[in-house]
Amino acid sequence: MTSDKKPVLALFYCQNTHASGEDERQALEQKYGDSLKLFPIPCSGRLEPLHLLKALEDFADAGYVITCPEGACRYFEGNLRAKKRVERTREMIKSIGLEEERIGFLINSKEGPKPLTDLADEIMDRLANLPPSPVLGPSVQGRATGSRQRSKGDKV
Amino acid sequence: MITAEQKPIEEIREMIAPYKRILVAGCGSCVAECAAGGEKETGMLASTLRMAAKMDGKDVVIQEKTLDRQCVNEFVIQLDESIDQYDAVLSLGCGAGVQAVAEMYPEIPIIPALDTEFLGETMSQGLWIENCLGCGDCMLHYFGGVCPLARCSKQLLNGPCGGSMDGICEVNPEVPCAWQTIIERLENFKALERLEEVYPPKDWSKKQGRGPRKIIREDQQR
Ligand code: SF4
Ligand code: SF4
Repeated sequence: MTSDKKPVLALFYCQNTHASGEDERQALEQKYGDSLKLFPIPCSGRLEPLHLLKALEDFADAGYVITCPEGACRYFEGNLRAKKRVERTREMIKSIGLEEERIGFLINSKEGPKPLTDLADEIMDRLANLPPSPVLGPSVQGRATGSRQRSKGDKV
Repeated sequence: MITAEQKPIEEIREMIAPYKRILVAGCGSCVAECAAGGEKETGMLASTLRMAAKMDGKDVVIQEKTLDRQCVNEFVIQLDESIDQYDAVLSLGCGAGVQAVAEMYPEIPIIPALDTEFLGETMSQGLWIENCLGCGDCMLHYFGGVCPLARCSKQLLNGPCGGSMDGICEVNPEVPCAWQTIIERLENFKALERLEEVYPPKDWSKKQGRGPRKIIREDQQR
């Protein structure tokens, strides 16, 4: 059984958000290993519900997106769109009885922007008690290292 | 274009419940424009249905394919190569698309994933409005390019009804009074005298009452 297994998070993040470069990414990968799959995107507005759904379908217990602060999107309203798309995705998974909390977003703060590492920690803490996804099923052992996942640095 | 909305997931799941190998078929035309049945929406629905099946421990195959146009045989025929693998098709085409697929493959059940709504216009991103009923005898030139059949709540050809307030329809406060708009348009091109005319009741026989309508263009035929 996977009950003692840490949840796997698919984390999409805007590359323009504060301190979200290669160093932070490597630090996170080292810290969380297979429990965290990082997907940098050029703007959170590029995120589609399908990205989140496919992550849940294929390998993740949860899918989150980190956006720039409101009013601070380089492309004006990418972060507002991301928020709406997250909401839409939540509605879809709810409609099949999957917990809404498996999809979410975190907006970086305008006043005190945090580095990607802190934001990822916050989300990982939030998810610490999330039960394994019923989509992946108890039989999917060691799924985070399975062949279905994307490789690091895959573009979305 | 033709607009549509996705049916609730529960309804879709009920309709596909008897089947084990399902093709989710999108359409890249009108229903893609109104974000109901294009490639993205088809992928989302297929993914959601696969997850639901896994959660229920059901052993089903759900695959997806989006055709450029589901209501044109030349495109529908692209399903030929794979249709035998499925025992049902869940179509995200409009009602015409669903029926075109059903006509081409009468031995396989075709299930509608969308509710087809109306002939409309994309007003702004994420907003579509009905503005034509397809009456078969267009009168837009009389009414300043505003269709009173589609846009006036009372379908008045000799409006306004007198009930509008501040340009808003008295029947539905969410819509502008079509007749107010018609008058403003006619004023713009100094044609207000058209309002003097009395328009006879609409002849609906050009739209309905004789079964499905048909358009035949010999110059377009083989
Ligand atoms: S008059 Fe008829 S064809 Fe013209 S816009 Fe109105 S419903 Fe459509
Ligand atoms: S208020 Fe205007 S749109 Fe509404 S029913 Fe009367 S004439 Fe038609």
